[in-house]
Amino acid sequence: MSVLSEMLVNLLRKPFTILYPTEKVPIPDSFRGRVAITDEKCIGCSKCSLVCPPQAITMVANLREVEFKGKVLVRKKKPQVKVFRCIRCGLCQRHCPTGAIIVVPELSRTGTDREVVVT
Amino acid sequence: MTEVIIPIGPQHPALKEPVNFRVVADGEKIVRLELDLSYNHRGIEKAAEQRDFIRVLPLLERVCGICSHSHTTAFAKGIEEIMQLEIPPRAQYIRTIIAELERIHSHLLWLGVAGHEIGFNTLFMWTWRDREAVQDTLEEMSGNRVHYGMNEVGGVRCDLTPAQVRAALARLPLLEERVQKYVGMVNEEETMLLRFRGVGKMTKQEALAYGAVGPTARASGVACDARHEDPYLVYAEIPWEVVTDTHGDVYGRTCVRIGEIQESTKIVRYCLEHLPEGNIRVATPKTAPTGECLSRYEAPRGELVHFIRTNGTDKVERIDIRTPTLANWTSVAMCLTGQNIADIPVIVAAIDPCLSCTSRITVIDDREKKKNAITFDELRERSRARWHAEERS
Repeated sequence: MSVLSEMLVNLLRKPFTILYPTEKVPIPDSFRGRVAITDEKCIGCSKCSLVCPPQAITMVANLREVEFKGKVLVRKKKPQVKVFRCIRCGLCQRHCPTGAIIVVPELSRTGTDREVVVT
Repeated sequence: MTEVIIPIGPQHPALKEPVNFRVVADGEKIVRLELDLSYNHRGIEKAAEQRDFIRVLPLLERVCGICSHSHTTAFAKGIEEIMQLEIPPRAQYIRTIIAELERIHSHLLWLGVAGHEIGFNTLFMWTWRDREAVQDTLEEMSGNRVHYGMNEVGGVRCDLTPAQVRAALARLPLLEERVQKYVGMVNEEETMLLRFRGVGKMTKQEALAYGAVGPTARASGVACDARHEDPYLVYAEIPWEVVTDTHGDVYGRTCVRIGEIQESTKIVRYCLEHLPEGNIRVATPKTAPTGECLSRYEAPRGELVHFIRTNGTDKVERIDIRTPTLANWTSVAMCLTGQNIADIPVIVAAIDPCLSCTSRITVIDDREKKKNAITFDELRERSRARWHAEERS
């Protein structure tokens, strides 16, 4: 009997599913999406590449002056993230001392090229 | 009548994951079941030995997609015990909230699968719809629906904001109302009663003899629960009860799981309302001292055990994962004896098997009384020998 009443209630309801792509899927603020790097904040400490579980982050040569805690430093390296190797665990964001590398609440792109990088 | 052997799997439409059954049947009745496990071997334990404590957690999370938080908590708990760390209460509460939400979503998923196995797909659709409320809560809290990544050695990765707590609390009444409906459905619905009652019966003595764990054992009246026997996180200080049942069949296992959903909802509500203030992690040393630890954890499917041995470095020397499904297989073989062939899917599904967890190879020689694990080279040699034999034939 409970099944029948449930069925009747459901008949009068709107569909539960989200009609993608006409309706957008709501993304929460804490969603771990694609990786984004703010270049002027990065001091090139390599912590993100050391903690990255799938080793998607490599440090590439890049000479630049950056400001950190009121001092001007000269960084020698910057991170490069292989987008399709990244598992979006958020460990780089957790261990970054300056907040330069973050996982943003945006859907990651899809593709077939394994070598696509974010710098 | 002569006995016939019906091979099922490793690839089979009724089984979602690879396992090979050789069902010996006499007409419609099952005489016995021969199991061939470890069709898939992923080598996760060896891979875990090569990663430091920060990088190993996302790997262990991927042992299983449903109980991902269970594996990381069991591991983090073990390492913290070896390091003798005291975890802040707020982190422990957050771990408990995620663990219990995981239990709710796992049991709702199981209820849907059980409905699907008996051809009651309406229930499958309803439970999975209601499970979305839990999944949304988990996604809001952790940032992902499956791999929450909340644990780290020494605490949790991110904090819960007041808005997230409010949103989670707001979703609970609807969930409770829905679960109450399922309680009524299980007890009244003829479709379920006919397929669940008296199927796959196991007595308390048999459950103890075959070493069943989790809801499978609790449905036979064995009140075994690692949360109660060996309290970890905050289970010793919060009000909750072990759910047991005396039916011992698939119906009993359904009742236990639904009862656990209700119990978990209460735990989540209590933890969210009594969330203490404070830090969410403590500073941890990079290396762990030499030591051994057996970390017990009550995963949704039963007792999960991580054996961890450290050697003073930042990596584990050995990690061995005993998953609940592995402990429950013998009880399945016992339950199936004397049952109808048509009941195989529902009896197998009743233990909530997770083959991706159970990908371990151990050789047990009964005559010589020897037990050892196969090394990678031996495995390669065996596959080569088999390939050559097939080539020749």
